[in-house]
Amino acid sequence: MNALKRALRALFLPVESALETVFGPRLNPITQLGTLGWFLFWIVTASGIYVYVFFDTGVTQAWQSLETLSREQWWLGGIMRSLHRYASDALVVVVLLHALREFAMDRIRGNRWFPWLTGVPLIWFLYVCGITGYWLVWDKLAQYVAVSTTEWLDSIGIFSEPIARNFLDSERLSGRFFTLMAYIHIAVPLLMLLFMWIHIQRHAHARVNPHRALGIGTLAALVALSLVRPALSQAPADLDTSPLRIGFDWFYFTVYPLLDHMSGRTLWAILIGGSVFMTALAWLPPLRKAPPARVDLANCNGCGRCFADCPFGAITMVARSDGTKYEQEAQVVENMCMSCGICVGACPTATPFRSAGELTAGIELPGRSVAALREEVVAAAAKLTGQPRVVVFGCAHDAGSPALADTSTAVISLPCVGMLPPPFLDFLLSRGHTDGVLVSGCAEHDCFERLGDQFTEQRIANERDPNLRDRVSRDRIAVSWNNPARRGSLREALRQFRAHLETREGAPPVKSAGRAAWRAKLRTWPAPVRYAGQFVAYAAMAAFVGYFATQPMFTYLEPDQALLKLSFIHAGQPLVACRHYTSAELAKTSVNRRRATDCARGRWPVTVELDLDGQPLYRGTHEPAGLWDDGPSSVYARFEVPAGRHRLDARLRDNGEHQGFAYTGSEVVDFVPGQNFVVDFSAADGGFVFDRAVRGRNPGRAP
Amino acid sequence: MTLLEWRDDFCIGIEEVDHEHRELIELINALHAEFAGDASGGRVEGFLGEILAGVSAHFALEEKVMRARGYGALTDHKADHEHLLDDLRDLMDEHAAGAVLDEAAFAARLAEWFSAHFRTHDAKLHKSLAR
Repeated sequence: MNALKRALRALFLPVESALETVFGPRLNPITQLGTLGWFLFWIVTASGIYVYVFFDTGVTQAWQSLETLSREQWWLGGIMRSLHRYASDALVVVVLLHALREFAMDRIRGNRWFPWLTGVPLIWFLYVCGITGYWLVWDKLAQYVAVSTTEWLDSIGIFSEPIARNFLDSERLSGRFFTLMAYIHIAVPLLMLLFMWIHIQRHAHARVNPHRALGIGTLAALVALSLVRPALSQAPADLDTSPLRIGFDWFYFTVYPLLDHMSGRTLWAILIGGSVFMTALAWLPPLRKAPPARVDLANCNGCGRCFADCPFGAITMVARSDGTKYEQEAQVVENMCMSCGICVGACPTATPFRSAGELTAGIELPGRSVAALREEVVAAAAKLTGQPRVVVFGCAHDAGSPALADTSTAVISLPCVGMLPPPFLDFLLSRGHTDGVLVSGCAEHDCFERLGDQFTEQRIANERDPNLRDRVSRDRIAVSWNNPARRGSLREALRQFRAHLETREGAPPVKSAGRAAWRAKLRTWPAPVRYAGQFVAYAAMAAFVGYFATQPMFTYLEPDQALLKLSFIHAGQPLVACRHYTSAELAKTSVNRRRATDCARGRWPVTVELDLDGQPLYRGTHEPAGLWDDGPSSVYARFEVPAGRHRLDARLRDNGEHQGFAYTGSEVVDFVPGQNFVVDFSAADGGFVFDRAVRGRNPGRAP
Repeated sequence: MTLLEWRDDFCIGIEEVDHEHRELIELINALHAEFAGDASGGRVEGFLGEILAGVSAHFALEEKVMRARGYGALTDHKADHEHLLDDLRDLMDEHAAGAVLDEAAFAARLAEWFSAHFRTHDAKLHKSLAR
């Protein structure tokens, strides 16, 4: 599993670096997948509400109303409809990439299981939304979706009669099904929103909006796609014919073609098993479990800074427990703590100026105490012989800071650079332990511990407590944020920082208020090239979404084939014939319990055979439904038949005999390509009924 | 002999803040006593560090209280906090640089800060909260 993660990281990281070069860290879409997901969800919601205003639920009205909207109001309704579709498709891409990336970056394990566990159902909800949405359009694709989905659901075997029978032919189709679909298509997104909210509950300061420019760019790309390639319906659904080739949304119906190659149950098992396995990934060994942060009440006055800074909401402020006059104390929720140490960096008592023997911060990471950190950094700095001396504070996920160590560079590794209390910078520089400090962390705006980079920068820039005192020269403090693949950038940043320190050597320390840390000027592309790159990235996204939303076409039925469906519901004969009570028996029974017949429960199974041109096409014995085996038996089978004239022979036995058939029927049928021909059975009508729909309407109307 | 006596008009009416004010005064008095004894190097520096940490934590708490109660003059009050911390750091740097300090004046300066801050900013906070 770790090898897989490494391989995925090897794929992700160069792409992320390239996108960061083009978009800059703030707008990098690959580090904003979560917020992009929220943004797309809102686009889908807003456009969906608009489209719903014009949507009629009904067998014929549904398709017509959308067609009218797209054609006559293309300038708004058409765009809204297209946005609704394309933003939904983009949402699939974003959600799946988001999940894959969090997995690859190993941000799902240990105490981070919560967003992962709540994220898996979100994927299911998303697909339910998409499938029901396409259903509502009631075009050829919708027809395919309706038939395939109901057949697939029927394979579970929980429905007493096949729900696919609702879509057998146009006679049986009910407008109420659209009402149901519309209901699901509105209810599930609401459920999805609830889960999205739950999904981020364990993230303090969770961001749900992408940076404005990224949002505008994404929306603009989708609008452009909507104008270039408006989302339209395919031909209206007609249950008496089957679609041959269908424009296919590969984002939502990815697994549907598999139904041609495996049973519905197998596919359910794969998807459900896959989801369970995916969920379990958060707990698979080796588990990363560092000891959680610990509060030292003797040093905690309940100021709440660690509470404000914990990115995982793992700190709560509770009533004071030690009898002192303070109102509150910080408490670590151990099973939510990621041991990143950002709380330590926030604690006002974590200052290295304190007495050597008494340096315990109000909150500490066991095994990485502030006192030991001071010892370590002072000792490491003392060994430096080269000039100028630089102390590098690196994190566990930066671009390999340990490799920077040399005679003039000391490297101190922290779980997250957010663990570094700003007074350490003041201490190291004012006491002459080093000439400069370089803080090296994860890619900007993509901190492994979520907010370590931002908090570090804000503390240094005097925008967040605990702030770095104004007296500390900011040009002796550098920050460098790089993903693990950008080792060269980190080296270059250190090289430039060192050169900068040399040139300012001898100058008196500058008191610099409210200024940000020093940054290396890394080689980047000129602005026009970067904007062009952004344009290409947006266009590529739009093209990808626009293409796979309908292409390549899916072949449901070869052009010379017709569909033959054998489907009916018929109750077999009772196992024991009902017996009429005699008058004498009735007389003995109390009035309220009298009834005409005495029927034992249980029915014979129904055996049905269908031959095509004298060759066996179907043989099946169907058990009665119901807990007491007294319900009707139901049959649903679908066959592809070459077009042309064929003879059908059907036989049915429902009385438990071993031979002979109670009902038989034959018909010679001219199958037209794409025809949907149903063999039904109705005892009341005398047995087999060959294509009730065609007969009921105009027999000549079949295509 | 103590350098700074707690006075009832220092009270701002928030128990935890008053409690910590008292503790800080004790800390400063202890520093004063330290100077009166042996003011040699390391111990004093560590002591100053303790005061810096204690004062920083106290200000953090007081700022939380002010924020929670929507205190209007938070910005000014916080600026004074920052000012006090800077002064304290100046003193620490002077001490670390080996400047010959008049120990008594040094401790008196600390005491003066606190009484001045109590008289002005904390009293204002007290009035605002009492309303």
